[in-house]
Amino acid sequence: MLSWLTRTARSSIGRKAVVALTGLALIGFLVVHLAGNMTFFADSDGATFDAYADTIGNNPLLPLAEIGLVVLFLVHMGLAVRLTLENKKARSKGYMVSKAHGGRTPGSRTMIFTGVIVLLFVILHLAHFRLQKGDDVSMASLVRFELSRPLGAGAYVVGLLALGLHLSHGFQSSLQTLGLNHPKYTPLVKVLGYGLAGLLTVGFLLFPLTIFFGGNS
Amino acid sequence: MSAQAHPESINVKLHLWRQAGPEDPGSFEKVELKDISTHMSFLEMIDVANEQILEGGGVAVCFDHDCREGICGMCSMVINGQVHGPEPGVTTCQLHMRSFADGDEIYVEPFRASGFPIVRDLVVDRSALDKIVMAGGYISVNTGSPQDANSMLVPKDKADLAMDAAACIGCGACVAACPNAAAMLFTGAKVSQLALLPQGQPERASRVLGMVDTMDSLGFGNCTNEYECMAACPKEIDVSNIARMNREYLRSSIGSAEGV
Ligand code: HEM
Ligand code: FES
Repeated sequence: MLSWLTRTARSSIGRKAVVALTGLALIGFLVVHLAGNMTFFADSDGATFDAYADTIGNNPLLPLAEIGLVVLFLVHMGLAVRLTLENKKARSKGYMVSKAHGGRTPGSRTMIFTGVIVLLFVILHLAHFRLQKGDDVSMASLVRFELSRPLGAGAYVVGLLALGLHLSHGFQSSLQTLGLNHPKYTPLVKVLGYGLAGLLTVGFLLFPLTIFFGGNS
Repeated sequence: MSAQAHPESINVKLHLWRQAGPEDPGSFEKVELKDISTHMSFLEMIDVANEQILEGGGVAVCFDHDCREGICGMCSMVINGQVHGPEPGVTTCQLHMRSFADGDEIYVEPFRASGFPIVRDLVVDRSALDKIVMAGGYISVNTGSPQDANSMLVPKDKADLAMDAAACIGCGACVAACPNAAAMLFTGAKVSQLALLPQGQPERASRVLGMVDTMDSLGFGNCTNEYECMAACPKEIDVSNIARMNREYLRSSIGSAEGV
């Protein structure tokens, strides 16, 4: 009855579309995540940020949202890694001499590497702020503590730069994958993609940079 | 032509890929060529190299070619790491030796893709592309007498896009240049060319489903939108054809009754 669906889900274009949709959904999450996190800069004692964190933490639907996010992440990652492995197999013997023709970008060349760095970063991030959520310590002070350490701040900078590079290709690529290419809009989408990647990267980078160099831990 | 910036003839050091058969590991054979006219095409230069190899008692290098005027798509070669050589928008047979400098080392390799098994030396089997076309890249019509010219209207912009897509000569440069050895620019062009025209409508859904499924089964990779294909294509086919194929595939597989 659903053979058409499994056929689509197994096809190259179907799987690529799922990678694109999950990638776009994750971008949507990042935008909301950054907007919420900006409450950190609302005051100096972190009261607004703590209230925001508590509101989220006390929401009974939180586990549902978290499961959804994990599923999006795992599906994106699983399919992207499988596609990458298939792509390696599609050229089992590489060129002795190879020179790009002018289509590739630093972002497009490195999707699997930046993806893996983002994965490691997300694991670290969850270990910091999801798993060790003590009741006695406020979220704002936990953030200050982790990001004032050189290793903590350094890991965040690396993770976020990788994310920025991933999205510099990812945003425009996902629209092309979904078949959205238009002489009027595609040039705008490219600019918008770089802008979005830059904005998310710089926005999140504000945390490790201001905390590490601000020295108000 | 105005004053020539390049010399009349050059010496080059050619490194030709030699591989006795599909299982042979293969290696480069070095051939030093003297006084190569810069007016020669790249294939003529290889003809000269072959004469030199034969005179030395060797075996001529095998390479594909036919029209030698950029329309048949046979001359599959990767020259110094670039498909069809360094000039944009030309096939190897249209590449001239004036694109090279005196003393250049020139490495010539076959197209490398699991979908294009190597037959011998620079010759690869590109029949996988024919299989994709056989899976739907045509229209089924009874060929009777031609109908009145104005009975089937085609808007100018659609005609132009279809014509651009139809410029594909099926040379396989997109596959060879793609970091993933994907055949999506080729298939996208063949799908687009018919999806844009009224004659292509009756088989629109079954065509794209059949062609993409066949493409998937032939060992090609998956497009990651690196656009190396478009940059290497001798006919400069646009990647919007890949987006159109993606669109056509999704609307046919999910949004049509085809293939229930
Ligand atoms: C916050 C996390 C992430 C976001 C927002 C994100 C976003 C995206 C987007 C929008 C695309 C473009 C899809 C397309 O080309 O159609 C993409 C592609 C890709 N992602 Fe991610 N991604 C994330 C995490 C990861 C992780 C953890 C991995 C792997 C370990 C990964 C691996 C890849 C790969 C390999 C591609 C290219 C796939 C292809 O084009 O076929 N990503 N990502
Ligand atoms: S030999 Fe026909 S296109 Fe080059």
